[in-house]
Amino acid sequence: MSILKLNNISKSFGAIQALDDVSLSLKPGEVLGLMGDNGAGKSTLVKIIAGNFKQTSGQINFEDEKVEFSKPMDARVRGIEIVYQDLALCDNLTASSNIFLTREIKRKIGPFPILNFKAMIDRAKDIFKELKSETLPEEEVKMMSGGQRQAVAIGRTKLSKAKVVLLDEPTAAISVRQVAEVLDLIKQLKAQGIAVLIISHRMPDVFAVSDRIAVLRRGKLVANKNANESSPEEVTALITGAIEKA
Amino acid sequence: MANKKPKTSISNIHEIGLLVALIIVMLTFGFTTDNFFTERNFMSILRSASYVGLVAFPMTFVLISREIDISVGPSVAWSGVFFAGLIKWYGISYPMAAAIVLLWGIFLGYFVGIARTKFFIPTFITTLALWSALRGFSLWITDGMPVLISDKTFRYFFGGDLAGVPVVTWIMLITFFVFWFISRYTVLGTNIYAVGGNPKAARSIGINVDNVKIITLVATSFFAAIVGILFVARVASGNSTVGEGMEFDVIAAVVVGGTALGGAVGRMTGTLLGVLFISVIGNGLIHWGIDPDLNKVVRGVIIFIAVVINSNLSFKRNSGPKED
Repeated sequence: MSILKLNNISKSFGAIQALDDVSLSLKPGEVLGLMGDNGAGKSTLVKIIAGNFKQTSGQINFEDEKVEFSKPMDARVRGIEIVYQDLALCDNLTASSNIFLTREIKRKIGPFPILNFKAMIDRAKDIFKELKSETLPEEEVKMMSGGQRQAVAIGRTKLSKAKVVLLDEPTAAISVRQVAEVLDLIKQLKAQGIAVLIISHRMPDVFAVSDRIAVLRRGKLVANKNANESSPEEVTALITGAIEKA
Repeated sequence: MANKKPKTSISNIHEIGLLVALIIVMLTFGFTTDNFFTERNFMSILRSASYVGLVAFPMTFVLISREIDISVGPSVAWSGVFFAGLIKWYGISYPMAAAIVLLWGIFLGYFVGIARTKFFIPTFITTLALWSALRGFSLWITDGMPVLISDKTFRYFFGGDLAGVPVVTWIMLITFFVFWFISRYTVLGTNIYAVGGNPKAARSIGINVDNVKIITLVATSFFAAIVGILFVARVASGNSTVGEGMEFDVIAAVVVGGTALGGAVGRMTGTLLGVLFISVIGNGLIHWGIDPDLNKVVRGVIIFIAVVINSNLSFKRNSGPKED
């Protein structure tokens, strides 16, 4: 039973065929590593799932129902959240404020709705506990390490009870020690039955957490197989085209 | 109420430093002049601080959201001239004239905001143009002469005192409280900080960045119009030459108060202290008998020093995420 199913997705920008007949599926609690060289179509695919782009042809099924997203909010409402590479955090706000941006918990003083910091901080604490992260809700994001920032960005997806989380290069810009922290975050999402799709260039990170590996080359899906049946060497060959298909 | 305030990294260090500086400056003036520590002089400081403060609070939001409005002085002058002119030349009632002037203030701020968000014209440029145009038009339409008004009730109330404190100071304190409250406890306040902290992120999360900026600019223009009307009450006329250099005092007060010109950082309590600081300095230098022209020089130096301290602090505060 898959939660997200892409059927024959193609996307062209003018004469450029960015995606060509790509079919993929994701099960709850499954981590899919999506790999490919620059320009292979990874970002385009993720942006179609997240509602940033509309596919030229093909169909997306979410929870066994045909869906069409015309804007990112449509995808978010259904439970698909994307965490961008630059994380989209506001450094001058606290972790909890960042998590709750546009979804603040309020209470009323007379007719005036005001922010309920206590409720938001408590909820943020729970979220970080679920993620087994030591991030402090009341700390400003600018004081945080790369791993903690990732926890804040992923915390946002927890708030909306996302069913599918798309991670764009989650380990690209951080130190080796923090990579382990981020990989743990991904394992926590998996343990809670959330389907995770990660885009990454970092082969060891992808193999450390993924159940399945998909490889795109020039817009075509050239591999989609269990991680334990593949190897970094094979994936490298698939990305570069040394092996045609696997 | 067990509601925790959001913590900041270096929470009050700037405000405490500024408070200490304010006390030192006041003691210095107090011990070196005869008339500084008098009730009359304190009321005078409070009065001038109040006019600056009324615009400085919304201006704090403008700077936090990475914009600026330098048209404040001419805006105040024009609002006063407009207000007095409506009453004197067109026989419009006081409340009606006030309503028209305030609406015009809102419109001007909206114009600056639309130019910024829809046509991508920097607020510095639009308000620079307004700075010139509003002063020029005020001078031209009045021939540089004051437009006199006579209503004593209006003048004595808005230009006078209430419970021993200038009415404008009461208005300023209420305004401070409102802006302080907005900045700390409302979604709008959070959004203003978010827009200043990372506009791209704010937009991608779904905050209406354009609206946030327009709101802060409208607020500033609106309060400049209020100050224009309050000035009329004080001097019984609309005057095309008032508010000269007021944009300097307002922006200086905000920056001295710890708000970063580059946005993201700033607090209303800091701005309140900055306003008092600027006003005390201005007043104390007069008591020292310093030439008004040199007074401007000294204030320029003080602003520069304050900005140097401020930018060093914010550099340390913004030196990026810690790596381990």
